[in-house]
Amino acid sequence: MNSEQTDFEREIAQLLVSSLNLALDPDSIDPKAPLFREGLGLDSIDMLEIALAISQHYGIQLRSDDPENATIFASLRALSAAIAARKA
Amino acid sequence: MARAWFERRERGSRWGLRVARVLALRFGRRAGRAVLWPITAYFFCFHPEGRAGLRRYYEALEGRRPTLGTLFAHYLTFARTVLDRAYLLARHRDAPRYEIRGFEAVGRYLDEGQGVIVLGAHLGSFEAARAAAFLRPQLKVQVIMHAGVSPKLNETLMALNPDAQESVAPLGGPTSLLAIKEFLAQGGLVGLMGDRALADEATYAADFLGREAHFPSGPLRLAAALRAPVFFFSALYRGPVEGVCRYELVFEPLCGPAPGTGARGEWMRQLGERYVRTLQAYCRLAPDNWFNFYDFWQAQSGDRPRRRPARDGDDAAGVCGGSPMDRPGTPKDLGTRGKS
Repeated sequence: MNSEQTDFEREIAQLLVSSLNLALDPDSIDPKAPLFREGLGLDSIDMLEIALAISQHYGIQLRSDDPENATIFASLRALSAAIAARKA
Repeated sequence: MARAWFERRERGSRWGLRVARVLALRFGRRAGRAVLWPITAYFFCFHPEGRAGLRRYYEALEGRRPTLGTLFAHYLTFARTVLDRAYLLARHRDAPRYEIRGFEAVGRYLDEGQGVIVLGAHLGSFEAARAAAFLRPQLKVQVIMHAGVSPKLNETLMALNPDAQESVAPLGGPTSLLAIKEFLAQGGLVGLMGDRALADEATYAADFLGREAHFPSGPLRLAAALRAPVFFFSALYRGPVEGVCRYELVFEPLCGPAPGTGARGEWMRQLGERYVRTLQAYCRLAPDNWFNFYDFWQAQSGDRPRRRPARDGDDAAGVCGGSPMDRPGTPKDLGTRGKS
């Protein structure tokens, strides 16, 4: 149990772990750590998988020309916030 | 072994390429051909690692040491394909001719608006993939590669036709691949290379021409993430006919689109297996089209760093379906040509 994760962040963390098939406990993901490269060590192919999983689960299309892309994929927290804002 | 092949490719002198370009385009094919010999001879003589790498390739392929003549002819074939790229990109009247095999299956996907991935190798002239753009008037082709490889050659090609580079997509930031996904959704054709691994790239081992070789896993993961059907692709140089160079563009179905969840690991394993088997079959068919001028088996072996977190490998089996291929990795008879 990671007390730093909110309930929704935990849900997204589980989605990341299952969609990327990570050998990792979802609760252990630091919500503020960068997802890309350093931090969780994901690459651009993982990011694509994440975008697909999000569109499948929440019906949110993430697009390449989205000006907020740099911040959306910054961390688990930023990603969760962006999904929460868009699915509402 | 770091970036051995990367550095080797840089050997080509800008000067030599420029001379070849000017001669070839101004004075036509015969002049271009004439200048090929000294350039080829130069590389052949002062490129011992390349010769040694090729020797290993022929030993694996034919089980015996190749003659110097075989090796020189191999270098000459490579030089010809470089020259042909110049003609092709400049849309010159001496541009090579193409014969196309296996595109029907690709076309069926495209008819439905489904984009297709073609997985190539440094076998033949991958740049001739652009010729695939001529297969259909509206077909858009995009080639994904490690940006910055062999800038000298690219510069020369750029000078020939500035439009050419537009369709080469570098792999960069976290969302760079979303654009590729969208490109496929619009029915585009995406080209990837599946044979060379950079120093820090994760690889998988496969039997290649009887010896264990290591191939990059990245292209397989990317193909899986893009959820598009995958075809093997090569533009094989098949020698001149009546003075005009002839290429055979071959497309072989490898796998249907990757499954959405869980079983992707097994899908990638099957894709890798079919890719290497198909590559091997085409090496046997057109041996002198192999343009990895280094010891392929040695250069990509050894312990590789794991940058990415560990994955669970216990995926379900048998998911690489959707391939209409009867005998995977067995190219059909591609007609006759001198030595093969």
